[in-house]
Amino acid sequence: MSLMDDAPTMALIVRSDLAMSAGKTAVQCAHAAVKCAQLARKNNRIYDRWLEHGGRKICLTVDDESHLLEVMAQASAAGLVHAVVADAGHTEVPAGTVTVLGLGPATRRAMDAITGNLAAL
Amino acid sequence: MGIRSFLHRLTAPTPVRMSSLGSQKLVCVVNQSLKMGKGKVAAQVGHAAVGAFLDAGSSHPGHVEAWLASGQKKICVKAPDESLFEELVQSAQRLGVPVHLVKDAGHTQIPAGSQTVLALGPYNDDVLDTITGDLKLL
Repeated sequence: MSLMDDAPTMALIVRSDLAMSAGKTAVQCAHAAVKCAQLARKNNRIYDRWLEHGGRKICLTVDDESHLLEVMAQASAAGLVHAVVADAGHTEVPAGTVTVLGLGPATRRAMDAITGNLAAL
Repeated sequence: MGIRSFLHRLTAPTPVRMSSLGSQKLVCVVNQSLKMGKGKVAAQVGHAAVGAFLDAGSSHPGHVEAWLASGQKKICVKAPDESLFEELVQSAQRLGVPVHLVKDAGHTQIPAGSQTVLALGPYNDDVLDTITGDLKLL
């Protein structure tokens, strides 16, 4: 995704090693998005700006769980809003499996610093 | 009973008991005619879920609270094209189910204004099943 403007972005980062179906992936990303929105709404000025600009979201991938946790640690250190989705195990993957990491909304600069080298889904 | 509690009883809104609402879910109906990639679909469903959560948060707070408390259940189903959306919206409105339609900004993959995902709920499982029960899972 090219830098079209500096509107805040939310990143939904999916584990590619789980090979989830499109529907499963979409639902897990939606969980992450709602969780991040809930967290950001409490005290985040970027949140309002994010919504005004259409609530931009991008979907990226990580190789596996350790890669996901590594990105989460970086986000945490940078003070970014983040939420991890652990599946309830109703379908496809075992209960407790970490499926998606949601980051932001954050400024493009802060997001790119952490997710710049991740591939798009 | 004192006059104040009497007045309170007359004017207070009825409390929504979560237990009385039963199981809640959010149904995201994806427009299959747009041939969106997996990541695109995931982002659009993300828009739909956040939008539905925020809209229904003010219009149906009891349902949203119950939905969040029970693990915010979501499912994705398929619609062949957007002509079905209008029909679904009408059924939903007749039954009092909140709806949120996502229109794409057109930055990637598809033209601006395309109707990508229709979210129905969060609302009672059984009511939603009467609207979207015969749609296939994505």
